[in-house]
Parts: sequence; structure tokens; C-alpha cells
Amino acid sequence: METIKSDYLDERLDQVRAKDFLKYRSGDLPTWCPGCGYFGIMDALYKACRELELKHEDICTISGIGCSGRTPIFINSYGFHTLHGRSIPVATGLKLAREDLTVFAVAGDGDALGIGGGHLPHVARKNIDITFLLFDNSIYGLTKGQSSSTTPHEMKTNSHPAGNPDTPLNPIKLALAYGASFVARGYAGDPEGMKTIIKQGIQHKGFSFIQILTPCVTFDKTNRTWKNLKENVYNLNLHTQADNMETAMRAAENEPFGVGLFFQDKDRLSYQDILRGLNR
Amino acid sequence: MKDINIVIEMCGSAGEGTISAGEILSRFMSAQGYEIMSFDSYPAEIRGFGKCVAHTRISSDPIYSPGKLADVLIALNDNHSISQLSALKNQGILIYDSQPARPHEEDKSVLGWVDPGIITYGIPLTMLAHRAAGSARGRNMVALGAIAAIFHMDKAGFTQSIEDRYSKKKKIVIDSNVNSFLEGFEWATKHIEKIDSFSFEGVTMPLQDEKLIINGNQLVARAALDANLKFYAGYPITPATKIMEILSKELPRHGGILLQTEDEIAAIGAVVGAGFGGIRAMTATSGPGFALMTEFTGLSVMAEVPAVIINSQRGGPSTGIPTKTEQSDFNAALSGGTGDCPRVVLAPTDTYSCYQAIVLALYLAEKYQTLVVVLLDFFLSNSIRNIDTPEKPSESLLNANIAPQPEELENYQRYKITETGISPRTIPGTPGGIFFSTGLEHDEYGRPNYSDKGHLKMTEKRFKKHGAVLSEAPAPQISEFDGETADIGVISWGSSAGAAREAVMLARKEGISAASFSSMMLSPFPEKELIGFSDKCKKLLVPELNFGGQFANFATHIIKRPLERLNFITGRPMASEDILEKMREM
Repeated sequence: METIKSDYLDERLDQVRAKDFLKYRSGDLPTWCPGCGYFGIMDALYKACRELELKHEDICTISGIGCSGRTPIFINSYGFHTLHGRSIPVATGLKLAREDLTVFAVAGDGDALGIGGGHLPHVARKNIDITFLLFDNSIYGLTKGQSSSTTPHEMKTNSHPAGNPDTPLNPIKLALAYGASFVARGYAGDPEGMKTIIKQGIQHKGFSFIQILTPCVTFDKTNRTWKNLKENVYNLNLHTQADNMETAMRAAENEPFGVGLFFQDKDRLSYQDILRGLNR
Repeated sequence: MKDINIVIEMCGSAGEGTISAGEILSRFMSAQGYEIMSFDSYPAEIRGFGKCVAHTRISSDPIYSPGKLADVLIALNDNHSISQLSALKNQGILIYDSQPARPHEEDKSVLGWVDPGIITYGIPLTMLAHRAAGSARGRNMVALGAIAAIFHMDKAGFTQSIEDRYSKKKKIVIDSNVNSFLEGFEWATKHIEKIDSFSFEGVTMPLQDEKLIINGNQLVARAALDANLKFYAGYPITPATKIMEILSKELPRHGGILLQTEDEIAAIGAVVGAGFGGIRAMTATSGPGFALMTEFTGLSVMAEVPAVIINSQRGGPSTGIPTKTEQSDFNAALSGGTGDCPRVVLAPTDTYSCYQAIVLALYLAEKYQTLVVVLLDFFLSNSIRNIDTPEKPSESLLNANIAPQPEELENYQRYKITETGISPRTIPGTPGGIFFSTGLEHDEYGRPNYSDKGHLKMTEKRFKKHGAVLSEAPAPQISEFDGETADIGVISWGSSAGAAREAVMLARKEGISAASFSSMMLSPFPEKELIGFSDKCKKLLVPELNFGGQFANFATHIIKRPLERLNFITGRPMASEDILEKMREM
């Protein structure tokens, strides 16, 4: 049976490879749970890289710890699975050292807003030219279902069985307040829309903050489920006025399920451009 | 041939020009061909009238330590100088202001506190400064003029050094400083009846190339630039900040980038990121910052990414004593962090070897794809020496990454197990060389792998590097033995090594059979050499600037026999006098 199964898989893989879909996918099979939103995110990431015709060797994917931490294993690029909460500083050093590379920093909600929350303001205000993907499933998945910084107030979790006493953070509002020059939200159930956003993020010269709404199918059965997301997510269509901070802030406050670009400052110089100007 | 060895201290209140007068004295003496070592102490607070001491040792022979007690104390400020009298030798010389602006109450005058036996020379510093330049500001220069006269220093050369120091200032500033100096010189020549025996007259120093007058932090920055550093990330912390400040100016000129981060975790994170990108990167910090960086030490070693951390030790633990020197981060440097985590630790033993240590650190980190910690301390960071300009590193030390051969890329194993533990490394951007790194245990491809055999194999691989590093590390410094054996062997490390070496030389002059051992390389440690040394010594002594005897404990494990310890946490550098006294008791 084993042989038959693997032969079948190989055959299917060859077929898909022939279509070039898996060009940016590594040989390793993801270890995420069946039905995980992260598969959709990866799909969008592969497509964005392919459409921009990035060379594999010029991409670096840096992650922290958590379910999202495994991302670099599954993408055919240079990858570095670092420490919990630290994908941002490592990606910062790498990008400053190697401006020629496309650098993705990947983090979960616990990773980016909990343990690594102190790095976000600084990468944003420095405007380091990296694309930051926040895999936000509003729960600690790899440690099996504890409250994270985006878990809704009063939701029951394994660390707060009586209900989460904390008020959740609003990642889009934070990114805007910290001065990120590109702020957007994607949805794991919409790889096409997400692909467009990721492509824009890669092309943006400066820090691109992309929050991705995604379910944890194993440890969150009530809040950010596929069902709830499907029913509530809609397109923001703020694009025409995406340079307006006031509109963006209002949308961040009032439209928790709106996806698309919230804000972009195309004129702001990236950190390295600023340095070149100062040291001229 | 006549020689001289003198320690001169000037003590004043912040803003009185104490430190700049000390600097001029050092530069002048260096230009005259003497060896100098100087060390200033000043308050941790920026504002106020805190006590400043400029301590300068001058010698016609090589200097290994700053000298514990002063031969001469120049009291610019009576109040502060009273507490400094304890650092003056029994037969020392006090130079004080005999006509201060306001007469002192009896118990506030430094003269009221001197022990019998101290030679006192009263100079009307304030009055002479007014006469020379119309204000009291030049008292420090008057004092320099007075000691130049009393100790028969070269007047013309000294004047020149003062002019050089202020050459970028307006003429009136130069003139008032020079005139104050001359006023002090003339007055002391005429009025001081010399009863001490210090004299620079007749001491001839050979002509030599101009020396570099530099402290450890400055030399570290210089070494890093010479060794092709291209990225520095850091967070301000005493006493390492100066390294960042120098590099912030110099790195952009050398095609590099300096990043000031939000904390020390981000600093070492960015260094690891830049190292992953294939360029040379480092950070510098002190105890509290090193504690934060500890989480990345494991990642650097596990994922085999080059990183260099300089830890300039200060008094600890916690925030501790930020402006005092100590050697209490030995344990943290060697084993801070979790798991079996072999890293390289170097500790320069004097100012000059700071250069060598940094060049070596950047080389070893790159070649062995690992973490290198360099332990300095407050004293090494800030004490000033005159040294020969170090030779620039050779090409082989500048390009050390071992890249895979084209055929190795066919089935590229980033963590391939080899003889030396070094796996050929591609850097991002290399076609066909793609790999994945992780802090998880992994196989030779870098894929997560938690098997017991795999973990053992990879742990052994990481430890293997130690053997290879040791084979190309600088040999320990071992003094000559009088005969086959010595009664006392002094084993030391870091900035205490100079004082230990000096103490052994002094002891041998007294007829004590003694020898010294020190090693810049702390991890991996030259164990064989230490065992060989200790086998030839009847008794062993480890002097160090911490309370618990961190290095002594480490050494005991290697040599498997008890040893004597000498520990100080006074915040002052190790003194050869104290080691010698202990040796006499042994």
C-alpha cells in the first residue's frame, strides 16, 4: 500500500510541477494541521514570488517560533527559523547587510505582538525594506490553545478557561500608529487577493506590514473559524485613498474583517535610502 | 643607566580640567619616549562637581599594570583630594594649592590630613593662574608647570605638547594655557626646595617612531574596521558605548552600516541576521546587555551563524556598578545560555592585544560559523596606553568563509559533518546553494530532526570545532622559569594578567622563585599547556577581580589540585603590589 500511495503522490507532484505551480515550494511537506489557513498563505506567497519572477536564491524567509515558524522550510528560498519573537531583528540585520535580497519576515500573533512586540515599533519607524507577514489566528497553536495578544476578550482558552481577561490588540492600528509605510490585511481563504497584497508589499520600498486573518482549526472552534471568516470578510476598497491616515485609522477601528490595503506612503524613504542621504 | 618609574595623580572636581591635564601629561611623556599607562576615574553622573582623578604611570621600562599607589598627588580640589590620600604612597609627594581663593577650614584642607612622611609642596595655583591668564581656569596648567620644574621634565617639549593639545582652538586659549604652565614652572623653579629624589634629568630614552596613544575601546573599533567589519548593531551601555560611537562615524566611510537598536536582543539579532547574509558583523555591550543577548548565543551556535559579541565587564550583578572594573562575567561568557553550547571566548590581556583579539574574533566567527565572545572590562576599555601601531591583518584573516565546491552543491548539505566540524557554507544569493537554518536540532541538510543518534552526531560536530580552533589559537603567555620548577605559579586572565606578570618579575627580584601563565583563549582553553605549567609549580595562585573565583574554579577542574586565590571587587584594576604581597605570604 505504502508504495502505491507514494507512487501516486509522485505522479501528482510531477503533473503539478509541470504546470510550474510548485516552483517556489520546497521538497518538504508542511507539518500543519489539515485545513490550516497557512496553506492558503503559502499558496499566495508562492504565486506572488512567481509573478514577480523572483530568483529563488535572492529570497530569504526569516521566521520566529510557532506554527508560522515552519514557513521557511516549505518555501524554496534561503530560510532561517530563528527565535521566538525575533524574526524582525534578524530580518533587519539581513536586509541591511544584503540590500539585493528580498526579505520576508514571518511571525504569528504570539510571536509578533507578544514576545516580539517590542521590535515592531522600531522596524516600522526605521522603515526597513522588508515584507512582514503576520499569521494572525488569535491563539497560541503550537503550545496547544493558550490566549494570545489578539484573542478576543472573554474567549475561553486553555490558559484562561474562565475567559480571557485581556483586551486584544488591534494589529492594524498598532502598525499605523508605529508609522509603518505600508499596512494591509489579507485573508487566508482568499489566496488571490492575498497574492496581490503580498506583491504590493514586496514592491513597496520600505516596511510592509501585512496582517493575515487565518483560522486555527484545531484550537479555536468558536472565534476565528473558517465559517465566521467566510461570513464576515469583505474587501475594503480603500485603495483610492490609501495615503490617508485618518481613513485608515477609522477603518482599522471599525472594520475588523475588511481586507485590502489600509495605508501606503510611497514617498517615504527606506532606511537604507535615508542612510545614503545622511552620509552623502 | 638611569631609569624612572613614577605614578602621578591629579585630583579635582569635574570641570577643573583634571582629565585634560592628565591627557596632556600622557601625550608629552609618550612623545619623550616613555611608556605610559593612564586611567581616569570620574563620577557616573553627568552633572555636578564629582571627583575626577587622572592617574598616570610613567616609566622608562615596560609597564604591565597601572600601579596601585601614587608617588605624586596633585590636589586641585582639597575636598576630593582628602579621600584620595589613601592612594598615595607613605613616602609620597603632595602638591597642593597654598593660596586658594578662599581659605579652607582646618578640617577641609588636604594639608590637614597628610600623614607624617609625606612630602608636601605648596604652590599658589590659583594666584599664579590669575597672574598668567586672568582667571583660575588655568590651575591645572600651573600644576603641570610646577611638576615639570620639580621633576626636571623637558620644558620646551612639554610646552609643545600643550600647544598641540589646543592647536584647533583660538590663539588666546593656547596662550593662556601655555602662560599658565610657564608661570607654574618659573615659580616652582624659584621657590620650591626639592627634597624628593624623582628626576627625569639624565634619563635617556631611545628615539623611536611616534606611538599610538589609545584606549581599548578605540583600539577595538580600529581593529574591527581593519578586519573588514561591515555591520555593527548596538544599544548604548557603559563602558562599551564608545565603540559604537566611533564606529558610527567610521563604518559608513568604510562601506558599512551601523544600526542603533531598541534593545540588546535586537542588536544581537541583527548581527546574526547580517552574519547569515555573509558579512562580518558584531555588537558590544556590558553585563546587563549580555544577559539579554544570551538567548541568541544558542541560536548562533546551533544554526552555525557567525556572530561576535564584545562584553566590556563592569561591576555586577544586575545594573551593578557601571563605572567600575570587574572580571565577573567569566562564567556568563563561557556558559551563559542553555544546552550544550560550545562557543569561542577570548579575553585580551592588555591594551595591545585588544587589537589581536578583535581580528581573531571576526576571523574565527566567520571561519567556524559560530559565536565568539570577547571579554574586555572597564579598565581595558578606558585605560590609555602608548603602543606601536599594530600591523594590519593579513589577507588570510580577512576572508575566512569556506564555501562549497561546485560538485558539493549537487546535493548540498549545509550541515555536513566534516573533520573540523566546519561545513562549507553558501551565502544567500548563491544559485543552487539554498538551505534552511534552524535553532531546532537538525540533520545534515538542516531539516528538523530529533533522533537521539542525530542529536549526538550534530552535538559532536559542533564541539569538534573547539579542537580545530585551538590548533590555530595564539599560545598562552608563559614566563620563563628560573630553573626547572618554580615555588609559585601565578595563573591569570584578562586585564589582571599584566599585574600578575609584573608581580612575578618583582617577586623574582626579591628571590622568590615564581612563574606566570595567562591565556587570551578562554574557550576552548589550552588545557595541556596549563597542566604542563602547573606540574612545574609547587603552589599556584589565581588573582582575579571577582568574589567567587570564577576562573580559579575553572582552572581547578583542569589541573585537579587546589590553588590559592586572590579576589578583589574594589572596582579598581588588579595591582601587582597586592599579588606580590600575597606571594610573599605563600
